Amino acid sequence: MKIVVCLKQVPDMESKFKIIDEKKIDESQIAFKINDFDNYAVEAALQLKEKLGGEVVIVSAGPARAQKDVRQAFAMGADWGIQIDDPAVEAGDNYVIAEALQKAIASIGDVELVLTGVQAEDDQASVTGVMMAHLMDAPHVTNVVKLEVNGKDLTVNRELAGGKNEVINLSIPAVLAIQSGINEPRYPTLPGIMKAKKKRLDVKKAADFGASAAAKTEFIKMFIPVSEHKAEIIQGDPKTAAATLVNKLKNEAKVL
Amino acid sequence: MAKILIIAEHFDGKVEDSTLELCKAAKSLASALGAEPAAAVFSKDGAVANEVAKYIPAVFSVEDANLEKYSADGYTAAAKAVVESQDVKGVLIAHSYYGVDFAAKLALALDCGIVSNCNKVAVEGGAPVFTRNTYNGKIQENKKVKTDKFVATFEKGAFDMEAAGGAGAVTKVAATIGAVRTTVKEIVETMAGAVDISQAKVIVAGGRGLKDGDKYKDVIIPLAKKVGGEYAASRPVVDSGWTEAARQVGQSGKSVTPDLYIAAGISGAIQHVAGMKGSKCIVAINKDPEAPIFNIATYGIVGDLFEVIPAMMENL
Ligand SMILES: Cc1cc2nc3c(=O)[nH]c(=O)nc-3n(C[C@H](O)[C@H](O)[C@H](O)COP(=O)(O)OP(=O)(O)OC[C@H]3O[C@@H](n4cnc5c(N)ncnc54)[C@H](O)[C@@H]3O)c2cc1C
Ligand SMILES: Nc1ncnc2c1ncn2[C@@H]1O[C@H](COP(=O)(O)O)[C@@H](O)[C@H]1O
Repeated sequence: MKIVVCLKQVPDMESKFKIIDEKKIDESQIAFKINDFDNYAVEAALQLKEKLGGEVVIVSAGPARAQKDVRQAFAMGADWGIQIDDPAVEAGDNYVIAEALQKAIASIGDVELVLTGVQAEDDQASVTGVMMAHLMDAPHVTNVVKLEVNGKDLTVNRELAGGKNEVINLSIPAVLAIQSGINEPRYPTLPGIMKAKKKRLDVKKAADFGASAAAKTEFIKMFIPVSEHKAEIIQGDPKTAAATLVNKLKNEAKVL
Repeated sequence: MAKILIIAEHFDGKVEDSTLELCKAAKSLASALGAEPAAAVFSKDGAVANEVAKYIPAVFSVEDANLEKYSADGYTAAAKAVVESQDVKGVLIAHSYYGVDFAAKLALALDCGIVSNCNKVAVEGGAPVFTRNTYNGKIQENKKVKTDKFVATFEKGAFDMEAAGGAGAVTKVAATIGAVRTTVKEIVETMAGAVDISQAKVIVAGGRGLKDGDKYKDVIIPLAKKVGGEYAASRPVVDSGWTEAARQVGQSGKSVTPDLYIAAGISGAIQHVAGMKGSKCIVAINKDPEAPIFNIATYGIVGDLFEVIPAMMENL
């Protein structure tokens, strides 16, 4: 089976975020990593390849720093990849990215399954996979927590609220947005890391695939939210703070 | 008059709370834009359309055997038919499991911009400006669309629920639904478990900050026992198999409202907060002073949970 995984590099959310001119985050303080949800998508693709043969291709839109995490997926076992390193795509919106990714996938040819994460941890949009499916004229399912392939037929579980799953049938080609917990993503092995360095990574511009979508939304500004309600932060070293907290829980909040 | 249209969501004949929130949103947004609020309801026989009409003055009902269950193809075709038969300016959809599955498809089918996962909307210069969380809630952004129409999805809880009152007019809209390429075979339960944490008065919840399953067991469970409560977890803890699924709190887990909820090593992602924000007293223990959990906590300790929790144990 020929599978594409769309992988986004995102900041580690425990980083210290600073905003420059209400427009962008200061990357000098930020460590980058694979979007957590995409890690599960890579693992799902690798498990299918182990069962059915075929290849796993990583497609990522992002600047040069994103190569580190595409190669991380190579080290896990993905075969090769495409990086769309294009400032015009970066400056676009979800639709511009979805179109560029979809055109890049089309250029590979005969892709049967496209996997994404359910959401990017940074923009939290949950739209890219659905947009790509629409552009490909293919069916899709989001929030996939179980996946089986029988020839051209897929059986997937879609997570619903309150611990329920819908069991859904559809046919390939299809796009699935993978939810965390579907598997346990593997760690790269040392031989995997060595091999990853030599794997093919095509660096392209959107125009190389004939992608040219214009953004349909406009970013205005970003800011650190000010909460009307902030916790009472208990000061002191861990021992003092813990003692104060227990005292407050017993005598002030009266919940212990 | 132009309309602000919500797409109603229902399950087993019951209208979802998120739909009642959207009714409220549609009313205020419509009045700010000089438009009318309306709802679109998709079903097999229209029964649920009358239910939605208690909350909003105009309901457009698309009825088709292919709309008995939710599907992205069915909902997109039906919504497009309503938008094209009416003067619709914008479409509001819940950022729910079904909402995220079709909202972006509808936006492309309508050739308009989508702003997803919003928590607020204001009108500036005659156009809606949306506010949404990014970076796990550490940063928010404002966005607007460049197109004539818009689609927006909203987080659960972004608006209060509209109360039942009037009897809105229900109008049938004809639509060609076409092929539905995803077939729902059945619905299964995945979180059945012996424990029911939703009854506990005190809950001690651990998150990814616990680092591994052994530490979760060594730190969280003893504290829960000591305070006579239940232990619980964020989703990554359950995903990694450190504890059972029945103990997961959040959008895809349990909703809990104990007197005391202690969140240790949990960042406070919106999907976690959705399941515990109704707790009476919330304690957050996190080494990151900017973790969003501090925005909803009553008391917070900024520090290493592996130092703070043992010290709490000594004082209990
Ligand atoms: C559709 C959907 C449904 C979801 N449903 C749920 C749900 O039901 N429940 C849920 O929980 N999540 C859910 N999620 C996932 C959610 O988005 C977050 O990924 C998740 O809640 C993060 O869990 P966490 O806070 O444990 O981990 P992280 O976000 O990684 O946070 C770990 C925290 O631990 C802190 N920390 C690390 N080390 C220490 C230390 N030594 N001492 C103190 N603090 C430390 C860090 O500062 C950080 O804030 C859902 C996501 C989606 C897309
Ligand atoms: N720049 C990108 N490059 C590769 N994949 C992406 C990119 N942006 C989004 N995706 C994919 O789409 C998913 C959903 O992202 P989003 O719609 O931005 O929340 C992610 O989990 C990725 O799989």
